[in-house]
Amino acid sequence: MPSSISGSKPKAIAHAEALAAICALLILMFEIASVYLLNHRSATYARISRQYGEALVIRPAGAGEPTSVLMVGNSLLLHGVQLDRLEEMTSSRMRIYPIFLEATGYYDWLYALHGLFLRGARPQVVVLGVGVNYFLENGVRQDYAPMLFFNARDTLAVASDLQLDRTATSNLLLAHSSTFWDTRSAIRMQVLNHMVPHLENLFSLVNQRPAVPEGREFAEMSVPRLQRLRELCEANGARLILVVPPTLDSEDPVSRMAAAAQAAGVEVSVPVDPAGLTAKFYQPDGMHLNPDGAVIFTSALAKDLREKVRAHETLAAQK
Amino acid sequence: MLFDSPTYFVFLVPVVLIYWRLNRREQNIFLLFASYFFYGWWDWRFLALMICSTTADFLIAQKIDPEKADNSRKKWFIFSLVLNFSILGTFKYFNFFVDSFSAALGTMGVQNIPIPLIRVLLPPGISFYTFQEVAYIVDVYKGRLQPAKSFVEYGLFVSLFPHLIAGPIQRPGHLLPQVQGERSFDPDRIFDGVMLIFSGLIRKCVVADNCAVLANAAFGGQFGKPTLWVVLLGTYAFAWQVYGDFSGYSDIARGSAQLMGFHFMVNFRQPYLSQRLQEFWRRWHISLSSWLRDYLYIPLGGSNGGKWKTSLNLITTMVLAGLWHGANWTFVIFGAIHGVVLSLERLIFPAVKGAVDTVQPRGFANFLSTWGQRILTFNVFCLSLAYFRATSLAAATQYLGGLSDFAWRSEYGTAFLMLSLFSVPLFVVDLLMEAGKEEYPFASSSYSFRTALATTAFVVLALFSGSNLNAFVYFRF
Repeated sequence: MPSSISGSKPKAIAHAEALAAICALLILMFEIASVYLLNHRSATYARISRQYGEALVIRPAGAGEPTSVLMVGNSLLLHGVQLDRLEEMTSSRMRIYPIFLEATGYYDWLYALHGLFLRGARPQVVVLGVGVNYFLENGVRQDYAPMLFFNARDTLAVASDLQLDRTATSNLLLAHSSTFWDTRSAIRMQVLNHMVPHLENLFSLVNQRPAVPEGREFAEMSVPRLQRLRELCEANGARLILVVPPTLDSEDPVSRMAAAAQAAGVEVSVPVDPAGLTAKFYQPDGMHLNPDGAVIFTSALAKDLREKVRAHETLAAQK
Repeated sequence: MLFDSPTYFVFLVPVVLIYWRLNRREQNIFLLFASYFFYGWWDWRFLALMICSTTADFLIAQKIDPEKADNSRKKWFIFSLVLNFSILGTFKYFNFFVDSFSAALGTMGVQNIPIPLIRVLLPPGISFYTFQEVAYIVDVYKGRLQPAKSFVEYGLFVSLFPHLIAGPIQRPGHLLPQVQGERSFDPDRIFDGVMLIFSGLIRKCVVADNCAVLANAAFGGQFGKPTLWVVLLGTYAFAWQVYGDFSGYSDIARGSAQLMGFHFMVNFRQPYLSQRLQEFWRRWHISLSSWLRDYLYIPLGGSNGGKWKTSLNLITTMVLAGLWHGANWTFVIFGAIHGVVLSLERLIFPAVKGAVDTVQPRGFANFLSTWGQRILTFNVFCLSLAYFRATSLAAATQYLGGLSDFAWRSEYGTAFLMLSLFSVPLFVVDLLMEAGKEEYPFASSSYSFRTALATTAFVVLALFSGSNLNAFVYFRF
C-alpha cells in the first residue's frame, strides 16, 4: 500500500485540529456575515421582508373600508405591475399588500400563503400572479423562500410534495435554518459579478426556464393545484383570484391556464391578451414587460380587479 | 447521500470517530452497517438487491475455489457471470432495448404493438459494484485470489461506502486484503485524506458545478442555435464539468476511505495532459479502463492477434465501455469514436507505444510538439463528448452541425471568460501535480502550507460553490 509523505505524527494531528477549528470558525463567520449582508445590503431581502411583515397584519376590512387584497407573484408581476399606479387606480375599492419574489412558483406561494395564514394574516382576497410555466413547475426557489416563506414543518411538506430525496430534503432544511446556506447562491452571483463583466447578461440568457407541459398533463397538473390553493384560501376566509400575466407568444398557455382555473372553480383574470402585446412591450428576454408594457398591464389589471371586487361585494351584500 | 452535501459530513465524521474506537472485527461490522445505511439513504428497496447479489457471489466463490478441485466449478463460474450481467442488464438496459425494439418496429411500419408498461428504475451504483463482484469471481476462479471466508469481509469489500456509488472500482486483490487485515491509525495519511476531500469538493462544487451552467445552456439550446462557438463552449465546458465532477468524486471517495485507513487506487492522473488517446485512457477513470483492459480486452485476445484483430478488440472494448456509461446509442458512438481513434493510433504510431509518458520537451520544437498533441487529444475527446452529453444521436448531429456557423454574440465572450475562471486553476493544479508526480495534492509541501491551502479552499467553496442541484454525473452510470 503506498504511503503518504513522511512527517511527524503530532504535527499532522495538530494541523488537522487547527484546520477543523478554522473551518468551524469560518462557518460561524460566514453565517454572521450573511445575516449582516442580508439585513444591510440585500435589496431583495429588504423588499420581501418588509412586504411580508406588512402582509402579516392584514385583516378583513370593516364596513366602508376598502377590501384587503394580498397580491403575490414572481418577477412577471414585479416588472409588470407599477404598484403606485395600481394603488392609485384601485384605492377606492381595495387596499393592496404586495409580495413579489422573482423565480417563484406554485409551491413557493402555496406554502408562503399557508405560513401567512398560520401567522394571522387575514386578507379578503388573494391575488396570485405567476407565469404559467412557473405555476406548473415542480420546484421551489432554493434561496430566500425556504428561509422567509416556510417553517420547518412546511419545509418537510414541500420536500414531500416535490418527492425530494433525503439529501435534497436536508439541503432544503438547512437553507431554512442557515442564512448562509440559504443565500450562498446570491452571494456567489454578487462575487462573480465583480469578476466577470456582463455576467448578468449571460445569466439572463442561460438560466433555464421551466417548460410548459403539453396535452393532458397540463390539466392534470394545473387543476388540482388550483383547487388546493382555492381550498387553502377559502379555509382562511379569502377568495382566490388567479392573474395570468402575459409573456411573448404565450397565447396558448395563457388560455389553457384560464380554462384550468375555471375548471378548478377559481376566478381568473387575464388582464391583457398576450396576442395584443408585441415584442416592443417586453424586455429583451421576452418574458418581462418593459415600462411601456407595464403601463398597459397595470391599467388593465386595475380595471379587472376593481370589477371582480365590486362583483364580490355585490354578491356578499345580496347574501 | 451526496458527497458534496452537508449531510454526508454529518454522517462521515461520527462514523470515523466511532470507527477508530473499535477493534478490527467490530470495525468491519460497523462499517458494513454504515455502508448499508449510506446506500439505503437513497432507496432502501435497492439495498435488498445489493445484499442478494453480494450473498450469491460470496457463496459461489466458495464453489469455484481452485483448491477444492470441484468439477462443477466452471459451471458455477459461468452461472455467476450470467447472474451478475443479467442483473446489470435488466436494471440498466431493459428500458433501452424495449424502446429500441419499439422504434425499430415503428420504422418498419409496425405501430401500436403492446410494449411492457413497466419502466425499470436504475439502482444507484449497480455498474460499479457488479464490476467489482465480477472481478472478484474471475480472480478467485483463476486462482489469483483466495475466496473470502467471512461474509462481513466480502460484504464490506463490495459495499464500503466511499466507493459504493461511483467507484473508483476497487480490485479485489487491492481492497480485500485491506478489509481482511488490520488498519493502522496514521495521522499523516489521515491528513492526506482530508486534503483529498478538500480537493474533491473544489473540483466538484466549484469547477464542475459552475462549468455545468455553461454546458447545460450550450447543449440545452439557451444560446440559440449551435454555432462553432457554442459547440466549443459546450464541449469544453462539459469536458471540465465531467472531469471536475468525477475526479472530485474520486478524490472525496479516496479521502474518505483514507480517514478509515483504507487506500484506494488513483482514478485520474491529469488526463488533459495526455498526448495520445491511449495515454488518455491510462489517466482517465483508471479503475474502469484498467478493469476493461484486464477483464475484457485481454481475454478477447488483446494485441496478440495482429493489427486487425487488435483493432477489432479495441473497438469492441471501447463500444462496451461506452455502453457501460448508459443505455443510449450516443454512448455507443462515444465508445466507437474512442475505439477507432485508439486503433488508428496503434496503426500510425506503433513505435510510440509506451513512450509518450516519458517524452520530455527538449527545445522549442519538442515543446510545440508536446502541446500540439495534447491539444489535439483534448479536442478529440471533446468531440466524442458531444455524443456523450447529447440526449440522442439526432441532437448530437444537429449540435455538431453548428461547427460551420461562425456567428458571434457578445455573451459568448462572457461565457468563455467564466469557463476560464473555473477551468484554468484546475489546469494549473494538474500541471503542478504532473511536474511533482504526486499522488496527493501538494503532498511534498509543509503541513502549515497545506493547512493554509485547505483554509483557502474552504473560503473558495463558500463563495463559489455552484448549485447543489447538480448530482454527480457518474451517479447515473
